[in-house]
Amino acid sequence: MPHSIRKSRSAMALAAVLTGAVLLAGCTAGGNAIDTSGDQLLTIPREDMGTFSRNFNPFTPNAAPMTQQAVYESMLVYNPADGGTTPWLATDWVASDDGLVLTFTMRDGVTWSDGEPMIAGDVAYTFELQKELLGGFDYLDSVEADGDQTVRFILNRPYSPALYEIGQQIIVPQHIWKEIDDPAKDTNGTPVGTGPYTEVTSFQSQSFDLGKNPNYWQPEKQKIAGIRMLAFAGNDGANLAAVNGEVDWAYQFMPDIEKSFVAKDPEHRQFWFPSTGSMINWQLNTTKAPFDDVNVRKALSMAVDREQVTDIAMNGYTSPADCTGLSGAYTTWVDADIAASCDWTNHDVDAANALFDSAGYPLGADGTRTLPDGSPFTLDISVGSASSDWLSAATIISQNLAEVGITAKVDSPDWPTVSASYEDGSFDTGIVWSNNAPTPYQFYRGVMSTDTVKPVGEKTFENYHRFASPEADALLATFAASSDPAAQTEAVNGLQAQFDADAPVIPLFAGPEWGMFTDTRFTGWPTASDPYATLSTKSPTTVLVLTSLEPVTK
Amino acid sequence: MRFIVRRLAFYLLAFWVSITLNFLLPRFMPGDPVTRMFAQAANKMQPHQIEQLRQLFGLDERPIWQQYLTYVQNIFTGQMGVSISRFPTPVSEVIGSQIGWTLLLGGTALVIAVLIGNLLGILAAWRRGGVLDSVFPPILVFVGSFPYFWLAMAALYLFGVVLGWFPIRHAFDAGMTPDLSWTFVSSVATHLFLPALTIVLVSIGGWMLGMRNTMIATTAEDYILMAEAKGLTNNRIMFRYAARNAMLPSVTAFGMSFGFIVGGALLTEVVFAYPGVGYQLLAAVQGLDYPLMQGIFLTITAAVLVANFLVDIVYVRLDPRVRVS
Repeated sequence: MPHSIRKSRSAMALAAVLTGAVLLAGCTAGGNAIDTSGDQLLTIPREDMGTFSRNFNPFTPNAAPMTQQAVYESMLVYNPADGGTTPWLATDWVASDDGLVLTFTMRDGVTWSDGEPMIAGDVAYTFELQKELLGGFDYLDSVEADGDQTVRFILNRPYSPALYEIGQQIIVPQHIWKEIDDPAKDTNGTPVGTGPYTEVTSFQSQSFDLGKNPNYWQPEKQKIAGIRMLAFAGNDGANLAAVNGEVDWAYQFMPDIEKSFVAKDPEHRQFWFPSTGSMINWQLNTTKAPFDDVNVRKALSMAVDREQVTDIAMNGYTSPADCTGLSGAYTTWVDADIAASCDWTNHDVDAANALFDSAGYPLGADGTRTLPDGSPFTLDISVGSASSDWLSAATIISQNLAEVGITAKVDSPDWPTVSASYEDGSFDTGIVWSNNAPTPYQFYRGVMSTDTVKPVGEKTFENYHRFASPEADALLATFAASSDPAAQTEAVNGLQAQFDADAPVIPLFAGPEWGMFTDTRFTGWPTASDPYATLSTKSPTTVLVLTSLEPVTK
Repeated sequence: MRFIVRRLAFYLLAFWVSITLNFLLPRFMPGDPVTRMFAQAANKMQPHQIEQLRQLFGLDERPIWQQYLTYVQNIFTGQMGVSISRFPTPVSEVIGSQIGWTLLLGGTALVIAVLIGNLLGILAAWRRGGVLDSVFPPILVFVGSFPYFWLAMAALYLFGVVLGWFPIRHAFDAGMTPDLSWTFVSSVATHLFLPALTIVLVSIGGWMLGMRNTMIATTAEDYILMAEAKGLTNNRIMFRYAARNAMLPSVTAFGMSFGFIVGGALLTEVVFAYPGVGYQLLAAVQGLDYPLMQGIFLTITAAVLVANFLVDIVYVRLDPRVRVS
């Protein structure tokens, strides 16, 4: 049998080659000793970018991670975790009595990473450039630099939310950007900023390193040597790196985090999911019957078991909303009397049934409800198929509705299709985020102001449910026109009462901000007991963490 | 020569049809790039930013036939524009920075799978009913029918996480700068091993079976009997007479596969966090990034057509019958 000898010989050669390759590869893959030399880089995964582009242009939406967090800085930093505001590039600000002039005093001794001093003119130039490239700030008439330390913002109408919007705009150096021909299309590969980590020491398509700004204005806070970003095309890879202890700080969703992440090293690993994200609502298209009936909205709301939604769909990472809609990031604004007295966000099947009956939606003999015209009471819940957590929330709601005799179908094409139906107003109901800003103004404006309502068929990007309340308009105007905290609180209390009366949307829960860390290489993280920032790696508060962490040295 | 000219004309027509489809299909999808970005960012973007981004991107609002003319003109002048999902990086730069890794991974895996698969097929057919013939096909088909995602995850978990033999992500260690040093090349090789191995595992069965089946048909031909009667060595008959003729379908398939490599290996890229065109394409489709999508599809189309053209030429060399007809 001559063939078989040759055959087995070649098979053996193949096996030998494969084994050799395996062994060779096995030898060179290194172990993971924990680096505590003091020069270790703070390693952070980015789960939504398979590769990085060397683009540090802060005006573009997909700039490299950390552009807005470590390279450029803003005049102030608002922290949603404790509601505090930290003066940053500005030391002080004041609004004029008529609310039309905002004056910021810039910090003395701040320099750009190239050594040039940062002056008020840079701020004025940044706003000019921002308006030219991106538009926006339509309430802003002009920005004037007065000397090197003072910037005045002249508003064309009193608008109190302007303070945070202006204050959190990142500032770019005029002496660099005025030389750039087309700032919108410049990739700004070697950025010059005021941030703590501005120097790109290495840039590859799947990882890059940022080193210390040699001219930082608070050098005593640059305790870590630098930042290393890693690219991942999805949560799985980033989670694996976190579980393996190869990254220090991560900001993506991880299912069952207690068991899969913390339990591997409970002494050093922690997660913290403060509910500072936007309020997640079940939105009912109020241009369609029966959702134009406030009693139907409230009865539907009472049929929903929010405990079940937050425990099962959200893994218990957040808690049920109340009927002010402010239970997440805006807890300090909640009017306790209203929150305690209203009941339409409590799960109560009997009350829901009673309200449906009295509002004219009778329960038939077959156990299903009908509309006043006799047709069956059914509805669709549209959610993007990528959001598995919201999808299971929709499924739970649909099961809850079966108990009150309503058939709800969960419809889950991909997000663009779903949001297209939200935008033109053709949807029935959906689970939707809401505006999230330092004050509740944007939230209430987005759910019940008249000027956000567009007719069905015309595209809109907020107030998808198309609900308008003239009373709310007046209160919103009062809030915007006033910078007096007492008057603002009064306006927000009025808005809460209006929200409670109208139920423009059905609030479900406040979105949690993910965040986990391990302190084997760095210490000084924000936690629930020390909420000086959230654990977000993509927010304005990120710079607070970067300037607080200290490397572990042995 | 006439054959080649005729083929060339066919390829030009095919090219025009595909670039036209390439232009039209993305525009039939609902939404536009900015609203998609808004939907994907969910609560992270404010509504007023939509107008800002439209202004920044300078989206093309002209009638579609004008856009088409510009598009065709740009293709022939080699301008692929600026990517929207990675604004303001030019499309050519986005593809250029990824395509090398895609070719390395896809090319290595394909060449290994084809070589080993065909060799196994030849040997199995030559000794029908032997150990190789009865053991390997069922095993390889079994492995090949695993969902790729599962197989890749299992390999990653076993060899990367539990045993720690191989790195679990990326094309080389973080902090390295590409150069021709031994440390860099070996880092690339170890990072390449698992992704390539999983692709080889799932694709090798098809190559082996295909080769085996044609080989069996070929060994029944009279000229094989004739060769044996002349007393040629087994080796010579197997490779020079049988395999050379049985190889033709494999060459076609190889050419096709080679063209498709440039489309990237999406699942491999996701599981092993390997750089490549596949994930860019997915991101471009999800974000309705017309310029990037068009750029990638154009690259794929061109590569498939070029590969097929080359196969046609090789065919002329391998199979005299083509020259005659």
